[in-house]
Amino acid sequence: MKSLVLATLLAGAVALPALADYTIIAPANPGGGWDQTARTMQTVMQEEGISPRTQVQNVPGAGGTIGLAQFASQNSGNGEALIVGGYVMVGAILTNNSPVSLQDVTPIARLTGEYEAIVVPAASPIQDMQGLVDAMRADPGAVSWAGGSAGGADHIAVGLIAQEAGVDPTKINYIAYSGGGEALAALLGNQVTAGMSSLGEMEAQIEAGTLRLLAVSSPERIEGVDAPTLIETGLDVELQNWRMVAAPPGLSDEQRAKIDADIEKMVKSDAWQQQLADKGWADTYLAGEEFDAQLAADIASTEEILRQIGLVK
Amino acid sequence: MDAFYFLMDGLATAAQPMLLVYALIGVTLGTAVGVLPGIGPALTVALLLPVTYRLDPTGSLIMFAGIYYGGMYGGSTTSILLNTPGESASIITALEGNKMARKGRGGPALATAAIGSFVAGLIATLALAFLAPWIVKVALIFGPREYFALMVLAFVTVSAAFGDSTLRGLVSLFLGLALACIGIDQLSGQARLSFGVPEMLDGIEVTTLAVAMFAIGEAMAVAGRVGTEDDSVIAVKGSVWMSREDWKRSWKPWLRGTATGFPIGAMPAGGAEIGTFLSYATEKKLTKHPEEFGHGAIEGVAGPEAANNASAAGTLVPLLTLGLPTTATAAIMLAGFQQFGLQPGPLLFATNPTLVWGLIASLLIANAMLLVLNLPLIGLWVKLLTIPKPWLYAGILLFATLGTIGANPSSVELGMLLAFGVLGYVMRLYGYPIAPIVIGLILGPMAEQQLRRALSISQGDWTTLIQSPVAAGLLAVAALALIIPMILRARGKGAVLSQMAADED
Amino acid sequence: MTARTETSKRRPNVAALVIAAFLVVIAVVMLFDAARLADMGGYSGVGPASFPGVVAFALIGLAAWTVYDGIFGDFPAPEPQRVAPVVWIIIGLMLQLLLLNVAGFSIATGLMFACAARAFGKRNLALSIPIGIALSFAVWAVFSQILMLNLPTGPLEHLFVAGR
Repeated sequence: MKSLVLATLLAGAVALPALADYTIIAPANPGGGWDQTARTMQTVMQEEGISPRTQVQNVPGAGGTIGLAQFASQNSGNGEALIVGGYVMVGAILTNNSPVSLQDVTPIARLTGEYEAIVVPAASPIQDMQGLVDAMRADPGAVSWAGGSAGGADHIAVGLIAQEAGVDPTKINYIAYSGGGEALAALLGNQVTAGMSSLGEMEAQIEAGTLRLLAVSSPERIEGVDAPTLIETGLDVELQNWRMVAAPPGLSDEQRAKIDADIEKMVKSDAWQQQLADKGWADTYLAGEEFDAQLAADIASTEEILRQIGLVK
Repeated sequence: MDAFYFLMDGLATAAQPMLLVYALIGVTLGTAVGVLPGIGPALTVALLLPVTYRLDPTGSLIMFAGIYYGGMYGGSTTSILLNTPGESASIITALEGNKMARKGRGGPALATAAIGSFVAGLIATLALAFLAPWIVKVALIFGPREYFALMVLAFVTVSAAFGDSTLRGLVSLFLGLALACIGIDQLSGQARLSFGVPEMLDGIEVTTLAVAMFAIGEAMAVAGRVGTEDDSVIAVKGSVWMSREDWKRSWKPWLRGTATGFPIGAMPAGGAEIGTFLSYATEKKLTKHPEEFGHGAIEGVAGPEAANNASAAGTLVPLLTLGLPTTATAAIMLAGFQQFGLQPGPLLFATNPTLVWGLIASLLIANAMLLVLNLPLIGLWVKLLTIPKPWLYAGILLFATLGTIGANPSSVELGMLLAFGVLGYVMRLYGYPIAPIVIGLILGPMAEQQLRRALSISQGDWTTLIQSPVAAGLLAVAALALIIPMILRARGKGAVLSQMAADED
Repeated sequence: MTARTETSKRRPNVAALVIAAFLVVIAVVMLFDAARLADMGGYSGVGPASFPGVVAFALIGLAAWTVYDGIFGDFPAPEPQRVAPVVWIIIGLMLQLLLLNVAGFSIATGLMFACAARAFGKRNLALSIPIGIALSFAVWAVFSQILMLNLPTGPLEHLFVAGR
């Protein structure tokens, strides 16, 4: 039986073209957002015939900086290698003193992004953003925030809110959890005062009424989401936890043009749009010089807030 | 009654011959990859998920269930036969399971693992189907201080694996705790003990340490022993099948293991390993054959294996009821479910009953298929041990390094594998037990982080740790488990106890 | 499996002293590293340096206990060991480590396989190296081509799959 199964699979494998095109590095363990982005790209590129035999390779570690360093040093001039990354990488490069930064690769495009949501448990006495800000001003230590890893997007967002609210960012009581799931569990169990996480992770709970959404970090109101933006509540904070794709350094102009075209074709395909819809990811595609400018602005503001929180010296 | 109807309907759908074949392919693939030391269920599911996309939703759901259960089970076979745990949840299985295999009782060890996994999977999947909404309420009571208390209880259980010397057990445990400090501290984001080596920022991978300590250290120890130049093989004594006595000694541990593993798996920060530790310690305390522990007690395989598989179903409780992916495996499964148009969350059972019950039915079928696949294979697996030693151990090293290379092909990782292998060899040489160092690496970060979270929430007030009834209760149990043996020893029953604590490795 | 105790003579056990020294070295390194960390305990009062500090002091205590056992107690003497086989295994693993990304999975692992077999008495490398490479290649083919595991490639693998 087993040999029969193997034989069938072997036949299937041989039928595929033996040539591998793009290799996508996911600089994280399986399961996280970058890994899912890389594997979704793999699926779409194969379906659309952009790259019939795409491979995904996980190089986990240290907020993506290990994967980034390996990618930059081993693939210079390789037009068939890609790496997935994101906003968290910007912070990780700074906090880990990474020798390799995003300047050492060729950022191609922002693919998708999620906005942050500020929530409190349904049983909480806090009703709106003003109530939360007042509580923080009164005693920042008494407001415990659950969110993702230290120095990540969630932590940065809390720091920015504190700063805007006139609270010392070093005084925030931020409790880092290893993943969105654990932070969410702490909120549902009423263990913490407030929570910061991507909207997508919280949405189901907000709909079910077990969490109260106070605000979102988008520049404008999000369709179908009943909450003000942070800017509307008087806090000038806007933050998108984006994911991007980058190519190695040292590419020729033709190589760069080919990758740009392939990624654009992928993003514009129905299959990609369908995947985004299935996964609840927003299409925040941005390429070329606009993306470069956005990236530079994000790096500058992140460095400043991490310095203020005290994570970067 | 509605639920029952849906389940029956789901089972009827899933019992079509073609779907059964998909289930079988799923468990076969899952076992094949999951069996590799160093490749846990998370990577197994991530690697094989795309395979399921080619099928229709029902077919892919059932194959996916097979891959998941196959991947969870895969690690036990190598643990028992080769003393090489496939992932952290089957480390405990290696303690007694491999001793059994060495005595020629590999068949019954594999059988009790397979049947125990089936029983646990069956009960836990049914519990998932009918009790999930209540269990998840209980699981959410667990905050940082309750988890910390649970970790303290788990630490007490480590002493069950100490062997004949408290000193050497403690040294091994604290070496593990020291290794646990390496890497970025999760709560402050600061790098500890990484000496500027970027690969060390994420700490020591548990599977790397376990594979090195068990497989490589073991190979060196066997090679270095005087008088092993011959090609002698481990003979299979007696029946490959479980005897009446084996059954009698196995069924209670299966049930107790399930009862331990399922709720801990359902807790958002529980982890499958903790259930196996607690189950092993429980069986060691309750057994009628304490003298066999450390020399191949079947209870020590039956309990932890059941706990391991029950926690696999437990993980699905927060995932399906709350949409909470609490482990890496669960996060990948979430992505998989989305592929089937299933959006896990608090409203799932109400809005999408057909798919949920289809998934649960698929899990039941996959669980049965796992047994169908593994029972006949036991005879074959046991024959593996009749391979002449040079080829057997060379093969073990091949598969041990394959797992590490496949998970993370970095020279630093392989270097650690070698260094820890040598450490494992030296520790064996001087009678230091191996399990505590690995357990220390697993429990250390969990205990530290939960303690610091609890204290952060209470703003530095230590009494918070005993203010919750659950936490206080767990700490009291842990204290009793430490103190009672001391009292018994003081009353002159020390002889029995030291017998119970007989050497492990 | 491990060496059993033959109660040693009343003479400081060298191994015990070496092990104790090893533990102290680890503890000192940990304390040194912990001192470097900024105190970021925040509201908990327990910072990133606290836990390593506790473990380090425990290790120092255990080192003292080990020394005591080595002098007055019964520290086990290991069984006599043959060094050559252990060295062969270490050589094999080092070869694999060094060659993996140059020669690919099959050749590097095949050599490791042969060295390990040598450690257990199969001295004929002319036989065991080809067996090792062939077996490793079969394993590579199954896991990388069918089960999509990413394994390093080298000249041998490139004969079958387009290399990069």
